Amino acid sequence: MPPSTDLLQGTLDMLILRAIAGEPQHGWAIAQRIQQVSHDVLQVGQGSLYPALHRLEYRGWIRAHWGNSENNRKARFYSLTAAGRKQLEAELENWQRLTSAVNLVLEGI
Amino acid sequence: MIHEWLSRVRFFCTGKSRRDVDDEIQFHLERQIEANLADGMSLHEARRQAAISFGSRQSTREECRELRPSFPFEALVRDLRYGIRGLVKNPGFTFVTVLTIALAIGANSAVFSLLNQALIRALPVHDPDKLVVLSYAGSHPGHTHSSGGNTPGHAHEFSYPMYRDLREKNVAFDGLIAAAPATVGVVWEKRAEAVGAAMVSGNYFETLGVPPAVGRLFLASDETAEGANPVAVLSFDFWKTHLGEAPVVGKELLINGTAFTVIGVSAPGFHSTVWGQMPDVFIPITMQRVVQPDRTYLKDHQSYWLNLVGRLKPGIAPSLAAASLNALFSDLRRSEFPNLRDHSERERKSFIDSAHLNLETGAQGFSPLRDQVQTPLKIIMGMALLVIAMAVVNVASLLLVRAATRTREFSMRYALGATNAQICRQLLAEGLLLGITGAAIGLAIAPQALKLLIHWMSGRSAAQPAFSASLDYRVVLFTIAATLVASLLFSLAPALQFWNPRLSDSLKQQSGTGVGGLLRFRRTCVALQIGFSLLLIVAAGLFVQTIRNLREVDPGFETDNLLSFSIAPQMAGYAQSAIAPVEQRILDSLAALPGIRSVGATNDPELVDDDINGDVIVTGYTPKPDEEFDVELPWISNGYLQTQGVPLVTGRLFNLSDTANSQKVAIVNESFAKHFFGTPQAALGHHLSRPHRPSTDAVIVGVVKDVKHVTVRFPAIPMAYTLYSQAEKPTGLTYYVRTWQNPLAAENEIRSAIANIDSRLIVDALSTLDDDIDNNILAERTIALLATTFGALAAVLAGIGLYGILAYSTAQRTREIGIRMALGANRNSVIGLILREVLILAAWAIGVSIPIALLAARAIRSQLFGVSAAEPLVYTFAILVIALVATIAGVIPSHRAATVDPARALRTD
Repeated sequence: MPPSTDLLQGTLDMLILRAIAGEPQHGWAIAQRIQQVSHDVLQVGQGSLYPALHRLEYRGWIRAHWGNSENNRKARFYSLTAAGRKQLEAELENWQRLTSAVNLVLEGI
Repeated sequence: MIHEWLSRVRFFCTGKSRRDVDDEIQFHLERQIEANLADGMSLHEARRQAAISFGSRQSTREECRELRPSFPFEALVRDLRYGIRGLVKNPGFTFVTVLTIALAIGANSAVFSLLNQALIRALPVHDPDKLVVLSYAGSHPGHTHSSGGNTPGHAHEFSYPMYRDLREKNVAFDGLIAAAPATVGVVWEKRAEAVGAAMVSGNYFETLGVPPAVGRLFLASDETAEGANPVAVLSFDFWKTHLGEAPVVGKELLINGTAFTVIGVSAPGFHSTVWGQMPDVFIPITMQRVVQPDRTYLKDHQSYWLNLVGRLKPGIAPSLAAASLNALFSDLRRSEFPNLRDHSERERKSFIDSAHLNLETGAQGFSPLRDQVQTPLKIIMGMALLVIAMAVVNVASLLLVRAATRTREFSMRYALGATNAQICRQLLAEGLLLGITGAAIGLAIAPQALKLLIHWMSGRSAAQPAFSASLDYRVVLFTIAATLVASLLFSLAPALQFWNPRLSDSLKQQSGTGVGGLLRFRRTCVALQIGFSLLLIVAAGLFVQTIRNLREVDPGFETDNLLSFSIAPQMAGYAQSAIAPVEQRILDSLAALPGIRSVGATNDPELVDDDINGDVIVTGYTPKPDEEFDVELPWISNGYLQTQGVPLVTGRLFNLSDTANSQKVAIVNESFAKHFFGTPQAALGHHLSRPHRPSTDAVIVGVVKDVKHVTVRFPAIPMAYTLYSQAEKPTGLTYYVRTWQNPLAAENEIRSAIANIDSRLIVDALSTLDDDIDNNILAERTIALLATTFGALAAVLAGIGLYGILAYSTAQRTREIGIRMALGANRNSVIGLILREVLILAAWAIGVSIPIALLAARAIRSQLFGVSAAEPLVYTFAILVIALVATIAGVIPSHRAATVDPARALRTD
């Protein structure tokens, strides 16, 4: 297993929001997606995924509904709410600012 | 943000079910197994890997659960449910603690309600913060009619002309109102009674913003000219309780024999701008002659009788208003000065130069009653707070003892993974449960307690009390705050005890090993309880001694079998000239009644906090420069001094030869004679008169002993009695009837005798003199009664608290005691051992508390009478009570310990 990179506090929320920005996904798919897209660098601790999903749901950023999965089973799909989309934009913007600032520092020294 | 909250609220109500979470996790695992199978793992391996990569399912479940917005609430409910179970299992403990809290909270809510009504609550009028009460510094030569509340530099009575000028010429007020209290006779449907009244300016209700409940209230057009406005407004309470809410508008009401038309009823809850005055009827100021036919107040610049209240214009600061009003006031005083009798430079100085108008915040109104009750109320509140402090310590120590017996339970919970916060929450929940239950009961009994208190405070007087027995929102807030603070304090004690204990230690802990911190805390609790109860018992002792002293004061005349009542013929519509004759008829017919020894009358009743005084000019006496010596000036009937039994020192009393037309005569008391003449004998034959009133000239024919007149608290004052039949103008009298037997038995005879003379005459304020004296010392009696109650409560609470702690610590020491007894100690020495410890602790606590008690007693000195704040007897008594309580609380558990069979004691764990 590649060394798991500790996700920065709050980044998991952003990743989840980003992962479901396109279309509704269920929990397993979200985890898979983050892992694949990051080429296995980012491993979402599966035990922490669900509490995070629930937290986002309670905050009103995502909403959940039961649907049929790709293997035709009942699964809980998560999708962004309007508030969630706004939150994602804000977090992305924040992230860009942060990373570019960090990069600037790293390159400048 | 709103969206977020809405979503939380939604989930708070619905949440996610446990099943949802389980289903979701189940799906995840299955999907992972499928993926693993697709990667070519065996079924067994696929399951294993899926489970490994997911991690602990249980902790995920728990984490999801704790995220639920309703989780803290659920946890609280769980804690509460657990707490209730624990409390139900210990009914004795629960009963004692809840009762303690209920009594403390009930007492505090009731007392705070009184304090709130007297000192905090604003008048029930529109925007009370804009109201200011007017008073002034400077001399006021002439006649002052005051209902009290004045301090040097703050006279609250203005003349009507001054009021009119201030009202019309000021630029600071939206309205300036005037009012004066009075008592009038009212006849409604042929029933006559004496009621409280207020003479008010036409703009009174309008300026205050008090709406009518029925009809209309006064307007400026109801204050036109003297005698021209016979209209009346009723107070809501009077209309409700006396008139049964009958339709009254347009009806006729006889007030002092004059027909008034009722135009309306004022709003419920409103009584007066003066807190404590409860007028039943309002009449326009211009009808003053109806109330006081003998006084021409309206035109007189030197009759001071009106209380003024102004409503500041919006945006005008009180200081600015005061500056502009003072310029006006000064001008008005200057223009009044030439009309004074005295034009000396001294008078000019005190009348004009030192004249100053004060504007005081009037949201709560001006109130002589408030001045009287505020110190007693603050003292009572202080005592009530001590009781609640006591209750907190008491419950804290009981909770602590209870928690100590639960050491193992808590150790077990720590061992099972409970955190400090969870344990604390549990203990706080239990404490709050006790606190809230107790407070709810306390709040439920508060109105009853309040009713009882008001009943005590109003004594036997029939007047409607100024306090009401209802609790307003401030009282409820106070109760909630007190409950929360108290509950937090007493729950914190055991919570601290269990904060991070050494787990293994306490699991292994055997009884008998007292933990140092716990021991110290227990001792502190005992010391605090003893200290608080000492304070309360000392207060009770001082006030009881005060009451005893007040009751033992000799007023200078016999008070037994003496009945008093007042009749004011003007209230029945008698003309000036008819008053004296009917009063003579009343005296004659009373004297003829069987069972009555003698009868007398005065316009200046004894020992009811009333006085009628003024300065006199005495022949043969040269006043010192600037001397102002006021003497009491009652008008009496010629049998009055004989009826009271005031002993004659020299000369003679009034007799039948002194008539309306004979030489005017006066009798002075010893204080008077001593001041003006040195000896009683020297006073005889001298003349006295009121300044500038030669018709009052009277010759002194006798000197009598001093009597207490205004109140039993103060020493006798100089008095000059004259005959009412020789007075300048007639007035209502208070009659004193000395009976052979129980004076109240004569009431019916007296009433029918008066009714035989004229059924319109109202017999008012009938009471025995003993009751009058009791009423006169009512404030002290109320404090004494409450202090005694609180003191007794404190003693009982201290007893319970001590017993709880001692019972626990003795039980802890069962083994030690067993060893001692096995080694040959006898029962008594074991009891002695425990008692000695308790008493040594009590002695320490008393030693520390006494200096505090001495300091606290200084604060209540003003309310004491004839007893020093450091009275050794009182302190000795308090110490004895505490020693007794401590001994009783100690004997029971130590006796129990000493009767334990040593062999068994040794085997207890």
